[in-house]
Amino acid sequence: MTSTRAAAAAVIAIAVALFAATFWFEQMPEGITRGFGAELFPRMVLGTIVALAVLLAIMPASNPPLPRIPPMVWYSGASLLAFMALVPVAGMLPAMFVYLVGVGYLWGERRHWLLFLSAILLTAAIWAVFVKGFGIPLPKGLLD
Amino acid sequence: MEHFLGGMALLLDPYILWVVFAGTVIGIVVGALPGISGSTTTALLLPFTITMGPIPALAFLGSIYCAANFGGSITAILVNSPGDPSASATAFDGYPMAQRGEAGRALGMSAVASAIGGIFSVIVLIVAAPLLARVAYSFGPPEYFALAVFGLSMVAMTGGDSATKNLIAGAFGVLLATVGQDLTTVVERYTFGIHSFSDGIEFIPVLIGLFALAELFEQAAQLGSRTVAAKLGAVRLPSWQDIKDCSKAIGLSSALGTFIGILPALGATTAAMIAYVETKRWSKNKAEFGKGAIEGVAGPEAANNAAVGGAMVPTLALGIPGSTTTAIILAGLIVQGVRPGPHLFTEQPLLLYAVFSSMLLANLLYLVLGLGFAKVFARISMIPAPYLWPAVFVLSVIGAYAPNQAMAEVWVAIAFGGIGFFMKRYGFSPAPMVIGLVLGKMVEETLKQSLLIFDLSWGGFLGRPIALTLFGLTVLFLLGPFLLQRLRGRP
Repeated sequence: MTSTRAAAAAVIAIAVALFAATFWFEQMPEGITRGFGAELFPRMVLGTIVALAVLLAIMPASNPPLPRIPPMVWYSGASLLAFMALVPVAGMLPAMFVYLVGVGYLWGERRHWLLFLSAILLTAAIWAVFVKGFGIPLPKGLLD
Repeated sequence: MEHFLGGMALLLDPYILWVVFAGTVIGIVVGALPGISGSTTTALLLPFTITMGPIPALAFLGSIYCAANFGGSITAILVNSPGDPSASATAFDGYPMAQRGEAGRALGMSAVASAIGGIFSVIVLIVAAPLLARVAYSFGPPEYFALAVFGLSMVAMTGGDSATKNLIAGAFGVLLATVGQDLTTVVERYTFGIHSFSDGIEFIPVLIGLFALAELFEQAAQLGSRTVAAKLGAVRLPSWQDIKDCSKAIGLSSALGTFIGILPALGATTAAMIAYVETKRWSKNKAEFGKGAIEGVAGPEAANNAAVGGAMVPTLALGIPGSTTTAIILAGLIVQGVRPGPHLFTEQPLLLYAVFSSMLLANLLYLVLGLGFAKVFARISMIPAPYLWPAVFVLSVIGAYAPNQAMAEVWVAIAFGGIGFFMKRYGFSPAPMVIGLVLGKMVEETLKQSLLIFDLSWGGFLGRPIALTLFGLTVLFLLGPFLLQRLRGRP
């Protein structure tokens, strides 16, 4: 299957699942819906999406093979999840510091002093502007 | 005139002046940073404008929008890597000029052409937007529905691999706007039991995810690619001969850019590309193009900045975004509780004219800053990826978290970062999705209101000539290129 057809198939699968979900919307009496129930508009849009996806699948298109996703993308994605997992434990500001140093290192920076210094400066700037300046309380962790 | 003078007078307010100055500097810097476009920056900084109030917020975002297009030309000329997609065409001749030691001349012409294009389009905006608003003042729900559908059809021509993919992305954006309680029936749609989705999906985390975080993944995929910077020399004003040589290109491209900008959904990148082709077509030195023709810098730069003012015309007068960035600015206004449209010209004229004035000022500011500090901006644009992108993520987290102080919004941003990355990988541009998201509510509401007016009969649209004309234009835009290809006998 070509990448375009695969994309079209994925679009149709998502649209069908979302269309099915409309059957679980709460049903309201005709007097309230006035002929235009909450499910009608999403169904119209989903119908259009399916029609367009079918068009996409049958239209001739050049399909150069997609390059493999480099492992660094997955590592970077995992680092975002690690950050989110760290926030409730360490708090947002310490998690940001760890993220800035960790991802900088992951992406190839080896000047440790510069990484630490820039991470400290950025974290301190965020604390000064948002916590002190705007008065926005950032999530604290178990360690706080 | 009185409102315009009132708007100009607001520029004497030191806070507004500071906001415009900051927006212009930020716009040039981020425009120059490869990978961070004007759209990404406006999405990233949108949450921080919530506390500003509508006038400074719009002045700030408008200044970033104006300056980012110029900023993009700095790296397009110096490292052949456009900081902003709208500067892609500038690199065709700007980089060859820089390679032969004329980077300063190219940047000088870029600043002057950008400022002329930008100022021309703001003047058109000042004249055309109120006229358009006056026409639209008599529009009812059926006309607005037709207008929103027309705006959505134009997403076919924005970014992405193909028109069909753009339309699919736009339709998913419209669908995204249905998440939350239906306004008429209060029925919850696609909330999946998540309480924070009841009021709908917030614009800000979606925008941050689709633009900033998706780009972070893109950058992770391109780690290791190196760019070689050309030497910059002194940035100077173009010579009188240069201006004379480029006057036709600047004039033509300013008009073309403004017109393309006014068309819903088409923005600065399309304007610059078309202007490059047209500048070459009308030039006496066609053979020089691609090898360092100064007209090849002047044309696209005048056009991409002219598209900025043009794109603001439908955004402010009709509430239909003229480009991706204006879709984000529109989202920012909605977040502020301001619904753009013709009524704004009677209800809040000062707001609009303050925006027009601040855009004029931003165009003059980046001319001065561009000529005076291009070397500094060029140096800033060389921030290595291991420092820049983790910082972008940290700012994205704060941006998504701050408005509602909810970590759920950060999760939404991360999820849309992943969605945006895979969309791009399969040739779907996130821009149509954003336009669909912004227009989605308007499409549904005006359709419902229209059908109520017509006693649930779709035939009612037949009795509305303006709506019919807009539907006709929609069909023409959607099928036109396809039919043209068929007539020419090409697949």
